[in-house]
Amino acid sequence: MRKKKLAMKILHYALVILVLVITLFPFYIMLTTAFKTSEAAVAYPPQIIPKDVTLQHFKDVLNPKIFPFGRYFLNSFKIALTTAGIAIVVGSMAAYSLSRLVFPGRIIFKESTLVVYMFSGILLVVPLFKIVSSIGLNDSMWAVVIADLVSTLPAAIYMLSGYFETIPESLEEAAMIDGLSRFQVIYKIVLPLSVPAISSAFIYVFMIAWNDFLFSFTFLSSQEKLTLSVGLKQLFGSMDYVWGRMMAAALLTAIPVVITFSAVEKFISGGLTAGGEKG
Amino acid sequence: MQKSVKVKKTKSGLMQRRESRLGILLILPTLILIGAVIIYPICYNVVLSFQKVALNPHRPSKFIGLKNYVNLFGDPEFYRSLGVTAAYVLVTVLGSTILGLLVALLMNRPFKGRKVARSLLLLSYVAPVVATVYVWKYMFNGLYGVVNYITVDVLHIFEQAPMWQDHPVYSVMLVVFYDIWRVFPYAFLMILAALQAVDESLYEAAQMDGASAWNRFWAITFPELIPSISAIISLRTIWNFYKFDDIYLFTKQVPVLGVYLYETAFAVHDNGGAAAITIVLFVIVFAFVILFGRKAVRK
Repeated sequence: MRKKKLAMKILHYALVILVLVITLFPFYIMLTTAFKTSEAAVAYPPQIIPKDVTLQHFKDVLNPKIFPFGRYFLNSFKIALTTAGIAIVVGSMAAYSLSRLVFPGRIIFKESTLVVYMFSGILLVVPLFKIVSSIGLNDSMWAVVIADLVSTLPAAIYMLSGYFETIPESLEEAAMIDGLSRFQVIYKIVLPLSVPAISSAFIYVFMIAWNDFLFSFTFLSSQEKLTLSVGLKQLFGSMDYVWGRMMAAALLTAIPVVITFSAVEKFISGGLTAGGEKG
Repeated sequence: MQKSVKVKKTKSGLMQRRESRLGILLILPTLILIGAVIIYPICYNVVLSFQKVALNPHRPSKFIGLKNYVNLFGDPEFYRSLGVTAAYVLVTVLGSTILGLLVALLMNRPFKGRKVARSLLLLSYVAPVVATVYVWKYMFNGLYGVVNYITVDVLHIFEQAPMWQDHPVYSVMLVVFYDIWRVFPYAFLMILAALQAVDESLYEAAQMDGASAWNRFWAITFPELIPSISAIISLRTIWNFYKFDDIYLFTKQVPVLGVYLYETAFAVHDNGGAAAITIVLFVIVFAFVILFGRKAVRK
């Protein structure tokens, strides 16, 4: 019996390791190729464990003459930060309203924000593109911010109102009996209590905006405004693409979201399972 | 006494009115945003779909009635796209949900390092699509890709190295594999959460009755998972129906509706035609949402 248990345990570990190896393999290839020499990257049979290690690709990617990584990074950062800021301010207002205040049409609003959540991306790209160009927002980061808001605001509202509902209502009532107005209650009690939820929603929106490709690819055209995702595509499209350079750039694009995500993974996983995500 | 009650009542009535005003005030920015960025574009799109849209934004567009729709429904490309999309959705939704379920069952057993393993499993879902698509392209390269090396030279699964990015059938397989790899963590997370909410005492009772692990799964676990599984399936079906990014970046060989729409708008520059495709897609997605999506999300 004990032997059987041990065998089961070993089998279980083996399966877990197998799943991890397969799902992480692309990341392993990304990492090793970024450090391989250009010749080794196209060698056959492929060098699964690189023989020589070089930092040249990282130097190239960070060299503005070869690839304006810094500028693209800054553009992506500005767009993601602005989107997250707006989504959180507007979203927490709406979330509080939907979870606490009674007003006509509340149920309809609550449901329609969720239905709206299912329409985004490619479904809106043609009309948004026409509208954006007719009001002169073409090639502006604001066009991307606005479009990114569509795909993130409903999720932010969902995550935040779920959290607000867990704050005991009696706490707020007690404060109001003590003479605080509803507004003061929100400002002095609800928001400070919700810092973990607000910051995880913020990072979640930031992540989606950082990863966006479609909108920045469609709306931005001048080189100095492009984001990292579009820059990566261009790097691949250039005639003399170098795999190591590509992988170094991909790695540097992925690292910021991976790090911030792992810092708040606990909260976000909760929000994901509650609200669903786009992708 | 009576007086004070009356005062209280009017006060609460006043407060209620104030509350409801605040409620509307707080939700107003969201309504304006959603109106401007979703409702208005959709209405505008309906108008566009009846026009021959001039390339130059300063030129007026011409009303041509249903011509865009007639063209669309007469275009064999459209039906091909629809078929490819349906196949893509079917396989990726089933694949990612089943894989997510299996991995969740695996990860539901306690073991050392479970937290770390769980975080690592989410990586593919978190990393930017553009970054991971290019690694996959590299891995599936026809000349020196590691996947062909393993499947042809080491494991001998294929006799000849498949051209993953150029062959019409293999490239569909490639984008399907990629999507399953990328989105299964979502199903995994939701199912794991549902698994951890199953009442332990049910298992104990079943074990006492001598039910095997297999029977316990189908009698106890699976029924508890049905709500989350159906939610995952509905949401993923909707999202994958208008998939664009990764397929567009991977290959020109998989003409799903999203890519067909994008190409019509920005390669052929037929904005009216693209608007008509958008409306058709929209109607299909909307039907899905009404049938399954609302129920899924309400859970």
